[in-house]
Amino acid sequence: MLRAADVGTVLLKGGPARLPDDVAPRFKAGDRVVARTLNPTGHTRLPRYARGRRGVVDRDYGVFVFADASAMGQGKKPQHLYSVRFAARELWGPAASARDVVFIDLWDDHLDPA
Amino acid sequence: MNGIHDMGGMHGLGPIDREENEPVFHHAWERRAFALNMAAGFLGDWNIDMSRYAREQMPPAEYLATSYYEHWLWGLERLLVEKGLLTRTEIEARVAELRRRAPR
Repeated sequence: MLRAADVGTVLLKGGPARLPDDVAPRFKAGDRVVARTLNPTGHTRLPRYARGRRGVVDRDYGVFVFADASAMGQGKKPQHLYSVRFAARELWGPAASARDVVFIDLWDDHLDPA
Repeated sequence: MNGIHDMGGMHGLGPIDREENEPVFHHAWERRAFALNMAAGFLGDWNIDMSRYAREQMPPAEYLATSYYEHWLWGLERLLVEKGLLTRTEIEARVAELRRRAPR
């Protein structure tokens, strides 16, 4: 039960998706990865334009609720979440700037070693 | 899902319309639609990822022709019906009632 007087405090706290679970990471910063080619009919946080593209793990955020599973009522499926760096040319082809990169937050289940 | 929400790399949508000192809400109903989403979320029948997935399921043509908070309202209605908290008939009846009472 959420009382009117508590709304401000509760909403400011938010709903953290970070989990205390002890799950081993599949990757570490600097690892080369390739985003899986997925076409799930459910929710996924892996954008279409990144599927099948190669990137580099920039940082490991730690263990988080896996949104793709959670959205489908399949529980939290705790796993590591990373910031993965993709070169603009890898995503958009040779006409893209050689300097631009896109950072995408992706989970272990989105990635394979490249 | 490969829905219309996943727009990265799509062409032809025109420039992003940047508004100086943009207010959080442009209309009173938007404030209400957002608050209803937050309040209904505390019923505990779904989580934030499920509410995102609900909005993604809006038919693509409708999604492109409607505003941000219309997406939020559509998703909320879908979840309320899906979880059995409201029926589509109850929503339609309420809309019809409000339409009758609205000043012309």
